[in-house]
Amino acid sequence: METLFKKFMAQFEGRVLNVRHCHGIPVANVAKEDLSMMARYIHQDKAMHGTLSLLWAVDHRPCEDRYELLYLFTLRGYQEWMVLTIDLGGEERVFPSITPVIHAAQWYEREIRDMFGLIAQGHPDLRRLVRHEHWPKGTHPLRKTYAWNSVLTREQGEYSFNRIEGEGVFEVAVGPIHAGVIEPGHFRFSVAGEPVMQLEVRHFWKHRGVEKLFEQKLLTAGVPLAERISGDTTVGHALAYCEAVETLLGLEVPLRAKYLRCVFLELERLHNHLGDVGAICNDVAFTLAHAHCGRMKERIMQLNDQLTGSRFLRGIIDVGGMQVDLAPQQFSQLIGELDTIQPDFTELEKILAVNASLKDRLETTGLLKVRTAWDHAALGYVARASGMDRDLRFDRPFAAYNLLPVKVPRYQEGDVRARMQVRIDEIHESMRLIRQIQSDIRPGPIRVEPTTMPQPGDWALSGVEGWRGEILYFVMAGEDGRIHRCKIRDPSFVNWPIIQQAVMGNIIPDFPLINKSFNLSYAGNDL
Amino acid sequence: MFGNICLIFLQMVVILGVSPFVVGLIRKVKAWLQCRKGPSVFQPYADLRKIFCKEAVIPSTTSWIFTITPYILFGSTLAAGLLVPAFFADMPLGFAGNIIALVYLLALGTFFLILAGLDAGSAFGGMGSSREALVASVTEPAMILSIFAIGLTAGSTNLNTIVHRTALFQGVTTDPAPHLLALGALFIVALAETGRVPVDNPATHLELTMIHEAMILDYSGRYLALVEWAASMKLLVFLSLLVNIFAPWGIAVEATAGAMTLGLVAYLVKVSALAVVIGILECTVAKLRLFRLSELLGAAFILALLAVIFFYMFRG
Repeated sequence: METLFKKFMAQFEGRVLNVRHCHGIPVANVAKEDLSMMARYIHQDKAMHGTLSLLWAVDHRPCEDRYELLYLFTLRGYQEWMVLTIDLGGEERVFPSITPVIHAAQWYEREIRDMFGLIAQGHPDLRRLVRHEHWPKGTHPLRKTYAWNSVLTREQGEYSFNRIEGEGVFEVAVGPIHAGVIEPGHFRFSVAGEPVMQLEVRHFWKHRGVEKLFEQKLLTAGVPLAERISGDTTVGHALAYCEAVETLLGLEVPLRAKYLRCVFLELERLHNHLGDVGAICNDVAFTLAHAHCGRMKERIMQLNDQLTGSRFLRGIIDVGGMQVDLAPQQFSQLIGELDTIQPDFTELEKILAVNASLKDRLETTGLLKVRTAWDHAALGYVARASGMDRDLRFDRPFAAYNLLPVKVPRYQEGDVRARMQVRIDEIHESMRLIRQIQSDIRPGPIRVEPTTMPQPGDWALSGVEGWRGEILYFVMAGEDGRIHRCKIRDPSFVNWPIIQQAVMGNIIPDFPLINKSFNLSYAGNDL
Repeated sequence: MFGNICLIFLQMVVILGVSPFVVGLIRKVKAWLQCRKGPSVFQPYADLRKIFCKEAVIPSTTSWIFTITPYILFGSTLAAGLLVPAFFADMPLGFAGNIIALVYLLALGTFFLILAGLDAGSAFGGMGSSREALVASVTEPAMILSIFAIGLTAGSTNLNTIVHRTALFQGVTTDPAPHLLALGALFIVALAETGRVPVDNPATHLELTMIHEAMILDYSGRYLALVEWAASMKLLVFLSLLVNIFAPWGIAVEATAGAMTLGLVAYLVKVSALAVVIGILECTVAKLRLFRLSELLGAAFILALLAVIFFYMFRG
């Protein structure tokens, strides 16, 4: 490991100000002026082939009067991580934008501007992102000087959408209130007849200040909040949070607890993927598949309820291990349920595979090219359907995945059908993993209690492959075991801008189908 | 004279009364095929009653077209329903118009609905109207041509005559090919005109994909009820056309109570059977891409054209 980081260090001998390792992740502190050049090297060099995975800021006050910006890169093969950091001391509020070099940085830099008031110089689009226009000027909630319980006054203002003008070009505004039971989000289409010329996604209606809320909490008390960031990804978020905190506290989670975490993560993947396959079919009026997938999803959720007392698997994971254990007979109940669902699903799969009208709708719809996916650093099934075989369970194993080799499906087509096929393959893989865990797992303790307190300023990064894709948590310890800063990155934040590219050239009635094949979280994105 | 008025009244009651049942039946069949219990087949009646009792909200941006459209749509569809023989072969209103009048009575309603969709000025209504205009314009040639094919074999465009001749196997036995081809064409046309899968999805909540539903998004209260009722009547009109032109057997040819009762039962059975077929079809295909509709309706047009060509070939 770290061969690519060594190559980076060799390339920039003497220009890197300071190198250290933070819980196994190499961190290089560099000068502001060098950042763009180094980012370009990491991104474009054939051997490094790095994508920007996360970009976030930390306000170090009251300890030190500086902001720190951190850039997490995933290097070639998706197995190696490295972090670049720059410091903004004193009254400095401007940092160089890397968006012109790395497209994936665009939303992160706008987010930092809104939350911290730090301006990315050279960013091509500095409109507000999270702060809607009714927020008063100068409101930057993640600054330490901003009280978490401040009440905002309401200002007037209007967001300016990207406009296409010309004869026969119309704007179609959809949302934030929709006809179905869907979260709020606004979609602005520019259309000429039915074909979409441009889509602009306007989100963050559901911003709840989650990252600020974390800063009021003890490290050991953050799980309930993490579980509620995106309701359908309870286990993914809880697990990612716990992994980060456990690294900080130096906890070694017992093996049985690690296995159990994998079981529940796969169960969450199962019920969401089953629901999605049905929902994609429902959007093309193929209601048969929807009904049957809905039934199978419901069976898994009822199973969740019987095993843990929660249909959404809440309250089962905690810092240091698990809250619930599975008895042997519960394991056999679980496997029994999978044994009835799998042949059922396989039969449905055959129906889906031979239905020509369905195939015609799903193929070539919502095409996401391999190159576009790479430029946006796409995640999860969206990436795997567009030629990127990234999956943290395989690339950087967490929990017990180092003992459970995961087969990662990959398709090149990048259309709705490929995204559905990735899910179908993952459903079978999840069932196989759960069966393997049942035969591998041994009795033992399921939790350990924290004994130490982390140093203020110490931080940890964790990554978990949730059902939707890579979930990242950055947790920095503060005084008295509290959280100084918690940065959360749901895969939706990365994949939402990609939808804008995937609908180009499609017709407007196909948008709901494309959107469903991405099935992104609004709450996880808006935070 | 009095008997005729009674007949017209009876037919009106049947059209108004049976149409929600057909919609409910299709939904029920779909539910069964999805292993669901589904709502009762009489649910559409309860829905209509509920919507009739609700307050009607009229968008402030609309003109008189918006409020008058439901009445025109309802009236024209009901009038079309009276032209089609349902359980009795000699419709007393038969003198008032032939099958071509029927087509354009239905088109009148569609035309006003398209205008009303545009009237409210919302993006969805406009999209629905433009799509409905597209569907209507590619449907019409296939519909007219298939009707001509039927008219040629029966030797008349009068529906009563067509039904009579078919019931007595006049024309049909000598050359069944044009008749069957025209049946195929008219069935596709019926699916398109009534907004069923694979052309439109009446069950969706996704405004961006809607055709018919997008135009009526702004309606509420009694206006919505009239539009919904008219839509189900239109479906029944097409089903009646299909069953009575192509399988008129059992229809009452004399105005006696016994024949009429038998005719009514036969009618209900035939229409229900066709509704079941539509329900099964809707469960086995996905909705077409919008721009593939012209291919489907093009196929309907070709079928109808072949029917006309075959007619002349067999005769000559």
